[in-house]
Amino acid sequence: MAERLIGLKIRTARRGASLTQAQLAARAGISASYLNLIEGNKRPIGGALLDRLAAGLGIQRSSLDGGAERRIVESLTEAASDPALAAAPTSPESAEELVGRHPQWVDLILRLYRAYRHERQTVMALADRLNRDPFIGDSVHRMLTSVTAIRSAAEILGDTAALRDEERDRFVSVIATDSQNLSATARALLSFFENPNVRVRAATPMEHLDAFMFEMDNHFPTLESAADALRAHCRSGESVEAAAERIAGSSEEIPGDRRADAVEAWESRRFRMVRGAASAVAGAEARRLVENHAALGSDEARQMAMSALLNYVAGAALMPYEPFLTAANEMRYDLDRLSRLFGVSYEQASHRLATLHRPGAEGVRFAFMRSDPSGYVTKRLPLARLPLPRYGTACPLWPIYRAFQTPGVTVAGFGELPSKDRFLFFARAVEKSPPAAASPRHILSVMLACSVSEADHVVYADGIDRASAMIPVGTVCRLCPRAACAHRQEAPLVA
Amino acid sequence: MKARILIVEDDPNIGESLDFILRRAEFDVELVTDGAVALDRIRHQAYAAVILDIMLPGMNGFDLLRAVRADQQLAAVPIIVLTAKGQENDRRTAEAIGASVFITKPFSNAEIVERIRELTGA
Repeated sequence: MAERLIGLKIRTARRGASLTQAQLAARAGISASYLNLIEGNKRPIGGALLDRLAAGLGIQRSSLDGGAERRIVESLTEAASDPALAAAPTSPESAEELVGRHPQWVDLILRLYRAYRHERQTVMALADRLNRDPFIGDSVHRMLTSVTAIRSAAEILGDTAALRDEERDRFVSVIATDSQNLSATARALLSFFENPNVRVRAATPMEHLDAFMFEMDNHFPTLESAADALRAHCRSGESVEAAAERIAGSSEEIPGDRRADAVEAWESRRFRMVRGAASAVAGAEARRLVENHAALGSDEARQMAMSALLNYVAGAALMPYEPFLTAANEMRYDLDRLSRLFGVSYEQASHRLATLHRPGAEGVRFAFMRSDPSGYVTKRLPLARLPLPRYGTACPLWPIYRAFQTPGVTVAGFGELPSKDRFLFFARAVEKSPPAAASPRHILSVMLACSVSEADHVVYADGIDRASAMIPVGTVCRLCPRAACAHRQEAPLVA
Repeated sequence: MKARILIVEDDPNIGESLDFILRRAEFDVELVTDGAVALDRIRHQAYAAVILDIMLPGMNGFDLLRAVRADQQLAAVPIIVLTAKGQENDRRTAEAIGASVFITKPFSNAEIVERIRELTGA
């Protein structure tokens, strides 16, 4: 589609810049008549000439060659393939036409779709909360217990068989105490539902943090700006970590040689240095985001969220949004190349990829999950159709666990959930810090997953035959209906 | 000789009612509130039937049921599981593990006595 519309885009951009064909042709070193053929899509264009025309128009080549539009067409196609919206048949060609001719309408459609998806996620989270909330479950159990005791005692009292006085007193007392218990439980339940924060009530600070990140789509535009401001403090030739140290007021000398620091990995130290300045440049904004947010229902949750947001700022300062997104697209999300280019660790780059959700400039949408060797999930950012476990382990077939067998090597694979949604998973076990003598190595597995519809953009899908390598997987064993799975660890709760 | 019934129920009021109605129905009754204690009793004493609540502190009803069914000498003991209405998952799980009969809370006393009589032939 990009090729078909490129002439139209050049013409539109030229008119927008108030240039005549002759003026632009002169800047690009071609004749006006040849430019006319290009604008009329009668001549193919690419390579150096396209660069010269883009330079002549004062715009990025990517806005002419359709790289951005390609992603928008894919987003539109994804929206159209949503089962809830798939009533009317659409074709990829018509999507391209729409994107080329009516970009503002497409933007509106995608905004609506994103809003719909967000609301749907919220509804699912609410349903999940109502089904699983330990308070509700416990209350219902206590009410049923009281009702059972009252009914049984009432039947004994109502029986015609004679009761001794002390037996009668005892069962009357049961009815009295359990009636009071029943009332107290009912009142507590009423208070629970009247609480305006009930929709985001979570049992642990980690769940509060999950709900917060989920609601914010793990993307914070004001913190991206704060990170840009931190970078703007860099003097000529000064690295961002050196500027950060200066801002944070530390007198610690910055090693010029990465090998000099044998105790802490250079990337970790660099991150820590920038993190030190994050609270100076973004502390107030992070506090504003955290305070009074309905999802964060405890001081501990707010502290965790503050820490997560300052880490976010450090990540954004080391991996600025636009250059990182551009590099990610060019390098097809190759984490080794990205981490080398930005001087960050594999894990830091992975986490950053899961934050590229700026409306209109989105990267591939990834779920992120980090686990220790025991299966404990230490960080999680789910996708709409790929729920990640809060507690316990995920499906043992996910590469996040296989990666522990070969630390430092990326393990990739395709998986199909029982819902028929398909994903590309890739994971690597990374060492958090060099081990002290005789101490166990601290290894964590970091996994990213994206929809199979976006897998072509990701280098880790290369060379894997989707038809033969699509493994039936689940999410959590107890919720997975694949009864015959050889890897089953728990009985399924669903048929 | 009276048939011996073990009640495993941690709520004292429900436990007392069950104990009362079964004694009045001419059964020999023992009442315990803890899953681990119940397992020990079942291993050392023959019972005509066990009434088992699922929600117990420590070793829950599922764990107890699994342990009993895993023991060849105990596997035939009839076990009535008390499940709460609406908690179908509990019921399915208990059925898969080997519960003999389910009774839904809140139950009627007559139903309890009738099912115990059916199971024990008493």
